[in-house]
Amino acid sequence: MKSWSTNRARLARVAGAATAMLVVGSVLAACSGSSSDSSSGGSDTLTVSIASDVVSLDPQLQGDLTSMSVADNIFDTLTVRGSDNSLQPGLATKWAQINPLTWQFTIRDGVTFTNGEPLDANAVAFSINRLLDPATKSPIVELVNVKDAVVVDDHTVNFEMKAPDPVIPAKVSLFGGVVLPPKLFQQEGAAAFAADPVGSGPYEFVSRKQADEIVLKANPDYWGTKPAVQNLVFKVMPDPASALAALQSGEVDIVTGITKDAANQLGTNPDTTVESTPGIRTYSINLDTITSGPLANADVRNALNYAVDVPTIISTVMAGAAEQTPTLIPSSVYGFDSSVKPFSFDPAKAKQLLASAGYPNGFSTTLTASNADSALAQALAGQLSQVGVNAQVNVVDAQTAKSDIIALNKRLDGGMYLVANSGWTLDSVSFLQSIVKSDRRSSRWNNPQADQLVVAGETDTDDTARVQAFSQLQSLLKDQAPFVYLFDINNTYAMKSNVKWTMPVTGILSMSSATFG
Amino acid sequence: MATTVTTQAPAAGVRRRLGARLAGGELQQFILRRIGQTILVLFCVATITFFLVRLTGDPVQAMLPPTATLDQENALRAQLGLNQPLIIQYLSYLGGILHGDFGQSLFFHQPAFDLILDRLPATIELASGAMVFALIVAIPAGIIAAVKRGSAADSSVVATVLVGQSTPAFFVGIILILVFAVNLHWLPAGGMGGFNHLILPAITLGLYSMAMIARLLRSSLIDQLGEDYIRTARSKGLSRWQVIRDHGLQNAALPVITIIGLEIGSLLGGAILTEQVFSWPGVGRLTVEAITNRDFPLMQAIVLFLSVIFVVANLVVDIAYAFLDPRVRLS
Repeated sequence: MKSWSTNRARLARVAGAATAMLVVGSVLAACSGSSSDSSSGGSDTLTVSIASDVVSLDPQLQGDLTSMSVADNIFDTLTVRGSDNSLQPGLATKWAQINPLTWQFTIRDGVTFTNGEPLDANAVAFSINRLLDPATKSPIVELVNVKDAVVVDDHTVNFEMKAPDPVIPAKVSLFGGVVLPPKLFQQEGAAAFAADPVGSGPYEFVSRKQADEIVLKANPDYWGTKPAVQNLVFKVMPDPASALAALQSGEVDIVTGITKDAANQLGTNPDTTVESTPGIRTYSINLDTITSGPLANADVRNALNYAVDVPTIISTVMAGAAEQTPTLIPSSVYGFDSSVKPFSFDPAKAKQLLASAGYPNGFSTTLTASNADSALAQALAGQLSQVGVNAQVNVVDAQTAKSDIIALNKRLDGGMYLVANSGWTLDSVSFLQSIVKSDRRSSRWNNPQADQLVVAGETDTDDTARVQAFSQLQSLLKDQAPFVYLFDINNTYAMKSNVKWTMPVTGILSMSSATFG
Repeated sequence: MATTVTTQAPAAGVRRRLGARLAGGELQQFILRRIGQTILVLFCVATITFFLVRLTGDPVQAMLPPTATLDQENALRAQLGLNQPLIIQYLSYLGGILHGDFGQSLFFHQPAFDLILDRLPATIELASGAMVFALIVAIPAGIIAAVKRGSAADSSVVATVLVGQSTPAFFVGIILILVFAVNLHWLPAGGMGGFNHLILPAITLGLYSMAMIARLLRSSLIDQLGEDYIRTARSKGLSRWQVIRDHGLQNAALPVITIIGLEIGSLLGGAILTEQVFSWPGVGRLTVEAITNRDFPLMQAIVLFLSVIFVVANLVVDIAYAFLDPRVRLS
């Protein structure tokens, strides 16, 4: 008798305790978890959705566009891109290559970090040297040719180079050019600084909830054009459909990181607009020209380029949000030669070239692609099959695709793989460096003339000579066709109709130019 | 209450013996033995995870842009200690765990355990909300369906359960968002905040648990209601509801409690799809991020952490079960 009632009591207690725990837990969590309700509303708060969280708020421990986008609002860089994509003074008012192995930067007078610390030559040298120190474990690789940053005087810094690099001013327009406050950084240490970063940019850091939101407020003492919107919130929304729903329900003002296709969800809603502006992510098919076989033959490679109907693929698979590229370099990039025209779609000519190269019935190969690009790969394989080229599509996950591309075994990815390159320096070298010159990691083409032209483009201190080298290289790339050239994709984003903002060609979310109205 | 005890079913005698067994220190022994097993399980999990994650590829290549030179890649690999022999990496990993150090996330540059703790409140909030929703709906639904077996109410519960168990979270989630956030403007579309933010994700995540609990409770209660002791109880003049409450539910609750315990474990493991759809900053999304970035230390820490949750949830269920059902022996 006793045991049964004890047992009943136990059952009741266990059940009761469990329920109480759940209820209390959910209520407590709901209360404690609530931060300032930062949903957009007033015209003084701009909420921007980003598809992934920032890797770190330490601007030198990140290497992706999203992290750089947030950092770009908090920090300043030595140079900046104007709305016409030209390189403009940022923290540096001028720069010059005073000899092949020295770049000299003159630092703007009177700039301070938001903690009051002066931003001078010492801060610049400190930042660059911290980036170069292997112990920093920075994923930023662009300053590979810089040996050391040396303070000349309060407003002058010299970059001492290991090898000449004419692209340095462009390379310090983002990642590598961010300047940190040395005193504060050394006082706090890297971890504390990343938790509460201090810069000199248009916005100041307020708070961050990992994987949820980053809140910034306007820097009232900003040296440049002060931001029109007082509060800036980045909301991490990994699912594009949900992010667009949040735009429709008024919780966010701008949705980034979406495709044109996904944005069609919005329909013809007068409260929202979908923008598709030029970008730099450039797709091509990398061909294995070093293994003997059909792809070693330039006629065959030309045939492949004639066989692909790029405009149709853009209008269908890419929902119109891309621009055909004649070779590897998109039109917004320094060194682009508009006299080199894209291949036309000409299957008859493709068949004829294949026949004269000894492949009248085509041949079989493989086309490897990241799973994110599987629809594109299928469409390309479909078009190639029309001229008898049977490309079997292999879809792999994105990280495997990336690793395979830089693998020491250059044949790992088979005959063809689909790849996208982005060069945020907006200089032609970024689109060529690791895939064209024969000794580079991802190159599968051996052409001594191309190698020479890449070296000229990468090291020549004379701008005219560089541009000429890029022009010749583009003609050679078209002629020899070591790739199948496709397109560069637009930056697609959706906004509330009352927001005015244009995404830069690099895709960086510099929000200080955004206004309501 | 005491009056009903005298009319108890034969099980009462068996229950009395359980009390005796527990008093004999059997529980302590049981718990000690289970803790020993737990440590062994966690050691195996740690070891298997350590070697398995290393089959996924190279994290250094995932961290660097494809334009990095081989020298830069090797320098970073050395800085991260990933160039050391595997066995050295393994021993230093195990040594770290013993000191409570679960390693530094390669990608986020923060201690892996801190990252999990950061995300845990969100996960607990969502899991609790989902479970509360599941219980509030499932218990009455299961009872009604069992008691009114074959009725329209039963059929509609069964149909709801079927839909709940077979509809994926990304679909339910986006439909709820479109209805309640976009069209009605009643609730937010995503993110974490006040109670309002919890409702839609909790329903989305709790739907499956709700369906499972309701279905189990229904079938379990139907089984019990067909037992002889129920008839005996009825024949002694107890009302129908008293019989269901005091006899049927008592016994039908046992398998349901097991499932609830295991469901809490799995809800706490993070709900990848729900978190993705509702931009919920929980452990599930951290898991995806760790895998896509090949963040070895973070993957290891998450798997170990989830294993602890599952092992503990199992242990609690086993103990609770032994308390509640004398036929289960603590051995």
